[in-house]
Amino acid sequence: MIPTNTAYETNIRLPLLFIVFGVVAFVAAQAILLAAGPAAASGVFRLPSIWAAAHLAVLGFALMIAMGAMYQLVPVAFLTPIWSEQLGFVQFFITAAGIIAFSMSLAFYAHVALFPGVLLVLGIILFLFQMGMTLRKQAKKNIMTLFVGSALLFLLLTILFGLTLALHFWSGNEAADHLFILKTHILFGMCGWFSLLIMGFSYKMVPMFSLAHGFSMKLARYVYVFYVTGLIVTFISFFQDGRGPFAAGAGLLLTGFALFAYHIWTILQKRVKKKLDRPFQFALLAIGIALILHTAAFLLPLSGNDHGMAIVIYAYVFGWIMFSIIGYLYKIVPFLWWTHRYSKKIGQENVPTLKQMINEKWTIVQCILFTVSLVGVVIALTVSSLPLFYAAQSAMTLFSLFFASTMISVLWK
Amino acid sequence: MDIRELVLEQLRTVIDPELGINIVDLGLIYDLQINDGNIYILMTLTTPGCPLHDSIVGGVKRALEHIDGIRDVQVQITWNPPWTPERMSEEALRQLGYF
Repeated sequence: MIPTNTAYETNIRLPLLFIVFGVVAFVAAQAILLAAGPAAASGVFRLPSIWAAAHLAVLGFALMIAMGAMYQLVPVAFLTPIWSEQLGFVQFFITAAGIIAFSMSLAFYAHVALFPGVLLVLGIILFLFQMGMTLRKQAKKNIMTLFVGSALLFLLLTILFGLTLALHFWSGNEAADHLFILKTHILFGMCGWFSLLIMGFSYKMVPMFSLAHGFSMKLARYVYVFYVTGLIVTFISFFQDGRGPFAAGAGLLLTGFALFAYHIWTILQKRVKKKLDRPFQFALLAIGIALILHTAAFLLPLSGNDHGMAIVIYAYVFGWIMFSIIGYLYKIVPFLWWTHRYSKKIGQENVPTLKQMINEKWTIVQCILFTVSLVGVVIALTVSSLPLFYAAQSAMTLFSLFFASTMISVLWK
Repeated sequence: MDIRELVLEQLRTVIDPELGINIVDLGLIYDLQINDGNIYILMTLTTPGCPLHDSIVGGVKRALEHIDGIRDVQVQITWNPPWTPERMSEEALRQLGYF
């Protein structure tokens, strides 16, 4: 037996800052989407208020939460401490200011969005630098490094394409390649950054939360090859008008994701913890939702349904990316607060378990509300029903308030 | 009570807060040596890079330091050999719904 003494814990204030910002941005995004009801329900998505809501949701919530979670999870998953916590705090304030200013400018002054966009890009580049330096120190690279490292590369490409879009708005000259850049920005942001990141960390969190042991990781490399090839082929398809190349790319993405879903299922078969925590089950449910949406993204272009693709993108952001993040946040926030409050008391007095830090029954109600709202919004967008959109989006806004209050209530435990 | 039993009893007060099971029943203790008031523990965690690393190691020290006659507590973490579920007690497996 070889003794090793290594600790990798991050100052919890850093991830918590990102998470609190993210939860507040989530509520704001839902409220703005509710106000944009008539346009959204009639299928008009390219509107200033919807851009603002989309960027608040994707950058303010999903990106900030992903960054905060990475400050916590990278040391855990890769056995290496964060390169500079101080830089982490600086990066938080720059990115937060950039997101607020950028979202507001999209809503009111889209032509000058380039300037806050530069601030936002600076924050993200600092984050990429931080993660690059951290991962460099990892002694033994593994398949998770490949997933997360590739996700970070796609994040860089996403913001470069996003900045190009902002440059078009500023110059008032929507070049012929504007749509190509927009499509690439969405593809790389959703599948290249978020999906690869969630898939990579799932390989750490699924065995950890289910106490799975003795499973094979061989399939992960095929997941990676199919998914990244799918990203490249889909990107190339944007150069052409035909639907065939896009379907080929979407098919490869579907194959990669289906392999990932199957791999996670095989890992869960090796678990010791038979009764899984509810919030963790929600994160697993999101994998099923994403599988359905990848199938839809493959089939819809073949039928020539472009409006349907916009709905698939909405459902992918909320049903896969956000639902995964929400599911894991119900686990991560209690852990962070428990560490802050009770870490030094363990062994001295009775301390609560992580499960006791949150009302699990209440999270079940919230996740049912989220799922019903999501299905309602998707149906409303599909049949262009404004009353149904208002009802479903009101329920989603209500969920965001419940979710925010649950996250904040943990801080009183 | 024998000092070794007393130490194990104290270690049972240290729980893994994710699982709600104490570290002895989880089978995390690989070696326990007690010499003239000095305790040496070689232990593991259920997964490398466990986020509860510092909390659990600190908890082990705090649980043992106040025992009469104990002068020093050394805790070493090892990943070799890695922890496996076979190390868990029947009670721990029952708590996880394994049976």
